[in-house]
Order: sequence, then C-alpha cells, then structure tokens
Amino acid sequence: MNRSDKIFIGIVLIAALVLYGTMQWFVTSSTGADTVAVVSYRDKEVLRIDMSQNKNYTVQGTLGEVFIEVKDKAIRVEKETSPYHLCSIQGWVKYANVPIVCLPNHIVIIIENATEDPDGEDTQVK
Amino acid sequence: MNSKSKTRRLSLLTMLLAMSILLHMMEPSLPIPIPGVKLGLANILGLITFFMFSYKEMFNVNLMRVLIASLLRGIIFGTGFWLSLAGVLLSTLMVVVLRKTTRLSIIGLSVASATFHCLGQILVICFLNGTWLMVYWLPIMWLSAVPTGIITGTLAHQVLRRIMKGGYSV
Repeated sequence: MNRSDKIFIGIVLIAALVLYGTMQWFVTSSTGADTVAVVSYRDKEVLRIDMSQNKNYTVQGTLGEVFIEVKDKAIRVEKETSPYHLCSIQGWVKYANVPIVCLPNHIVIIIENATEDPDGEDTQVK
Repeated sequence: MNSKSKTRRLSLLTMLLAMSILLHMMEPSLPIPIPGVKLGLANILGLITFFMFSYKEMFNVNLMRVLIASLLRGIIFGTGFWLSLAGVLLSTLMVVVLRKTTRLSIIGLSVASATFHCLGQILVICFLNGTWLMVYWLPIMWLSAVPTGIITGTLAHQVLRRIMKGGYSV
C-alpha cells in the first residue's frame, strides 16, 4: 500500500463519516412529534399506520405476508419471507424518511410527519 | 500477433472469465456476519485481467461475468441484475480513470472499485425506488468497502506477483 492509497482510503472514510453525519442530522431534525408510517406495495400505498399506537399489522408482499410491529413510536418488520431477511434484520426505525425496504417483497415502509400537510390552511380566517 | 499467442490470449481470458463467474456465483453462500456486506471476490479476477492485459479486457471480463452469472442464476433483467450491472460498470470505469490519473496501487484501485460499486448500486436503487433516501446506506457500505477492498486488492496483488514472471508495475 503506497501513500496515495492511504490518502484515497482516508478520503473514502471521511466522505462516509460526513455523509453519515449529514443524513443523521437530516432525519432527526425532520422528525416531528406525531408520525405516521406509510406502507407501499409496488409504489402504491396500502396501509397508513398511526405510530402512537402499539399494534401489529400484516400486509401482502410478493413472496408472502409481511408482519409489521409498532411499539413505542418505532416500527419494524417482524417477520417476512425473503432470501436474506434484510428488512427484519434492520430492526426498529423511529425517524422520518429512513426507509425500511424489502426489495424481494416490493414493500417499502417510510415514516412521515403527521402534521406535514396541515388541512387547516385553506380555512384560515383573518 | 501470431495465431499461437492469439490462442493463448483467448484461453487465458476465458479461464479468467470462468473463474470470475465461479467466484461471483459462490460468493452469496459465504457466511459473512454483517448483512448486506460481501467481499467482492470476483473483482480480484477483474483486477488481475486489468494488470495482465488492459482496460478493454477488464471491461469484457467484468461485463460478461455479470451477464453470464445472472443468466445462470436466473435473475437476468431482474432488480439484482441491474444493481450488479450498474455497480460493475461504474467501478470498472473509475478503476481505469484512477489508474490513468493517479498513482494508486492495486490495493487502492481495489478499494476504489468497491467504493464506486456501492455508489453505482445505490444510485440504481434510488432510481428504482424513486427515493434518494436510500443514500442513507451509502456511508455504511463505504465503511465496509475499505476493509473488503484491501482484502481483495491484497489477494490480487499476491496472485499477480506469482503469475507475472517478469513482475508487474504496481
């Protein structure tokens, strides 16, 4: 390993850390107090979950049923049928915009802020 | 180039391709404790081809590897295939560019290859899922690309040191 190798490896590590820090800052700062989880199958919304209730849900994926669990404002895929089980290994997610993706099942779960789209705006009276 | 050395070249390239397909196919069955991380063993053969021949041969071997291995596994034109293809195209291109413009050794090139392989894959995942938020995985993949890149680079270096009789320029 020569000097330019070490410099290059350093650049990659720094870039990874900077990117990680930026993403972490972005997701924590963009998560509001009330959140909903949106579950999509093949880009179509199939389920909207209120994150304040501890409850279990089931949706139909491509390879079989996907079991979703909500607890203490965090969500996870509890059980699913796929070759590597990457989405259940991912574990609990509680921040907005951090997707849980189960590619073999074509299921994407993403947390959104419940107050992001205020309905009251068009009825505002001055 | 006479016909003897042409045949020799063809058979060498075919053997390199066969070995890279083999490594590509058997890699998922290797137990790695971290999910989603793989060593990228097939890339060793790509790098060896690059140093034994030139960038054209490396492009051929890498592209043919992805095509044939996907065909054999039955995932051709599926999601995994496009991820592999994007990763391999970007990483091969960047290895050639970095070799021309910098003084990276084979280990640095291997790390670069792993890094840009991840980048290419993430870009395609973002495109397929229609969300740029999959970039979230990139730092984790890059952190794992450094050790795996060093391992595969060292392996390629050791192989080249033994098979290139007149030595090779790192």
